[in-house]
Amino acid sequence: MNDLSIPGSQSTPAIDGDWDRGILLMQGDSYPENSYQLFQQVFSWVERFLLESARLLTLELRLLYLNTSSIKAMMDIFDLLEEAYRDGKPVAVNWRYDLRNERVAELAEEFREDCTFPFAILALDPAASAS
Amino acid sequence: MSRDQGELETLIKRLLADPDLREHPLNFALGQLWFQYRELLNRMERITRMSDAYQSMARQRELSLAERFDKQLRQLEKVARISDRYQHMMRELNIALKEAATHDPLTALANRRPLIERLKAETERCERLGHGFCVAMLDIDRFKLINDRYGHDVGDTVLIETARVMEAEVRDYDLCGRWGGEEFLIILPESVLALADDIVRRVRSAIDRMKVRVGDEVLSITISAGLAQYRGGESYSGLLNRADAALLQAKRNGRDSQQLAD
Repeated sequence: MNDLSIPGSQSTPAIDGDWDRGILLMQGDSYPENSYQLFQQVFSWVERFLLESARLLTLELRLLYLNTSSIKAMMDIFDLLEEAYRDGKPVAVNWRYDLRNERVAELAEEFREDCTFPFAILALDPAASAS
Repeated sequence: MSRDQGELETLIKRLLADPDLREHPLNFALGQLWFQYRELLNRMERITRMSDAYQSMARQRELSLAERFDKQLRQLEKVARISDRYQHMMRELNIALKEAATHDPLTALANRRPLIERLKAETERCERLGHGFCVAMLDIDRFKLINDRYGHDVGDTVLIETARVMEAEVRDYDLCGRWGGEEFLIILPESVLALADDIVRRVRSAIDRMKVRVGDEVLSITISAGLAQYRGGESYSGLLNRADAALLQAKRNGRDSQQLAD
């Protein structure tokens, strides 16, 4: 099984990696006790996908609060994507935020700063998120 | 290589190559010396080359370390910056949450939570220092009729306007809150009953003068109030009960009036 599935908790985001569709979904707050342990799995999955598959990898992010070590981990993952993109591999990030909390969009922009690959910051439709 | 040295080497090469000198006793020794000299020179050149290569390798390594260090430093700065912004966001959300937890969303007045907190603090202060404090329970007269006749939107507007006027009329250190429905509570610290009576009268007459426009109609409302002064040893709920009873009496007296508790 190539899929990655880590259920979310109050302090950790739900993480779902769909190998066949090339989509990694991360959703929720992130202030884990041991962020290295959590993000190492994500990092490895992304690394392996980029190595073994030539297909597009899209990160679908609906992250709200990130603690410092989670910020570092996300930057490492974006570095990984950036490196792959420079090697000609197709990657993309869609960071979706709730219109009621525009600050999340500003933070996503900070993350996007050093990335040259497609990195979209999109307002989440409140009607869609309610369902 | 200096010119003298170059000339010396040329001379030695010529002497060694001269067939007339081949049998000379020093010829063999000079040949050996020349050979060793060349060997030494070659070795020195090789050592120099290797040493240069090592040096350039070390330099490359140093450069890549510096590059990595710079990259880490940039990343660290960015992490700190983003982290600060997340903390800022949390702080603001906390403030909003606290506001939501302590205020009535319709009128923006304090809700029961801060009212009760303040009642506890004032009773403690009163026990300690013996200063008087009063509470006033206020109720909009025949509010249900307004809701029934004009609808809840108008009812809401009346509540909002009443709250606004009430808060404008009390003193800075009085606390006004929505106790529930159309019932409001004013906590009046450092006041005896006579002073509280005056302040509540002022509040009521300001609300009497207030006009709420509904289409072509102009609506005005009246307020009934019950006041009580804190008695030593009393619980805050006992105090509220007495104010409530006084309010009931004011209603029974025909509304649009205020009553002091015994």
